[in-house]
Amino acid sequence: MRFMIIVKADKNSEAGALPDEKILTEMGKFNEELVKAGVMLAAEGLHPSSKGARVKFSEGKQTVTDGPFTEAKELIAGFWLWRVKSKEEAIEWLKRAPFGGGAEVEVRQVFEADDFGAEFTPELREQEERLRAQMEQQKTS
Amino acid sequence: MRFMMLMLPAGYEKAAPGAMPDAGAVSAMMKYNESLQKAGVLLALDGLHPPSMGARVSFSGGRPKVTDGPFTEAKEVLGGYWMIQVKSKEEAVEWASRCPASDNEVIEVRQVQEFSDFPADVKAAAAGFPDLQSGQQKGS
Repeated sequence: MRFMIIVKADKNSEAGALPDEKILTEMGKFNEELVKAGVMLAAEGLHPSSKGARVKFSEGKQTVTDGPFTEAKELIAGFWLWRVKSKEEAIEWLKRAPFGGGAEVEVRQVFEADDFGAEFTPELREQEERLRAQMEQQKTS
Repeated sequence: MRFMMLMLPAGYEKAAPGAMPDAGAVSAMMKYNESLQKAGVLLALDGLHPPSMGARVSFSGGRPKVTDGPFTEAKEVLGGYWMIQVKSKEEAVEWASRCPASDNEVIEVRQVQEFSDFPADVKAAAAGFPDLQSGQQKGS
């Protein structure tokens, strides 16, 4: 099973502050453990929402708003993608993450093709598999 | 530049465990995904099960506290994402605008940090982890 581990933004990340060397070193060690255990699939950080935008869809129209999104309480600062055997294993790993004070992190299971029932027709499944193969090719090219 | 297009589906914070998107929506989205792929901009995409199947861990005072979903206070939650490689934020916003999203859905467009964005001291602190650096460089 794959899980997305979503790290919430806070005032510091939204201000564009970078973590200090101590935190970077601790997080580096934690990330290395994840890699060695074969759990780590991806890890990315996002620039503050002030550099982003939102597109809202309403009555067939799109409205674009530039960041920052000060009213949003659920902003994201970064994420990991992990492969583990259960939600419990994901939580156990996450508990060991070197977050000092106040961080809030969300654990969400990623959809796999097998999670969909008959609605995911053989045609759609084939399309999905082709897409993933092409993305892998692009990453390594 | 890499951008995340974060899909924030209206009402997904209240979705029951095991909730699935309907076939029509999936089919329209697959066409859109294929158009991203054909344009050579698509790096990754995933959908997420409802938050009612997830958990949150907060680290107040450095001690992890686990709360199972759903997260009733949440006004918007992530439903899935695309990661794309484009030349500008404007191009990313243009791609987001073409998504066959439903009424009241929002796509948040956020730039992904690249290793080259970091100042020299941060690069030095991360220099001991070549595996991770190559991971971060993916697609850049």
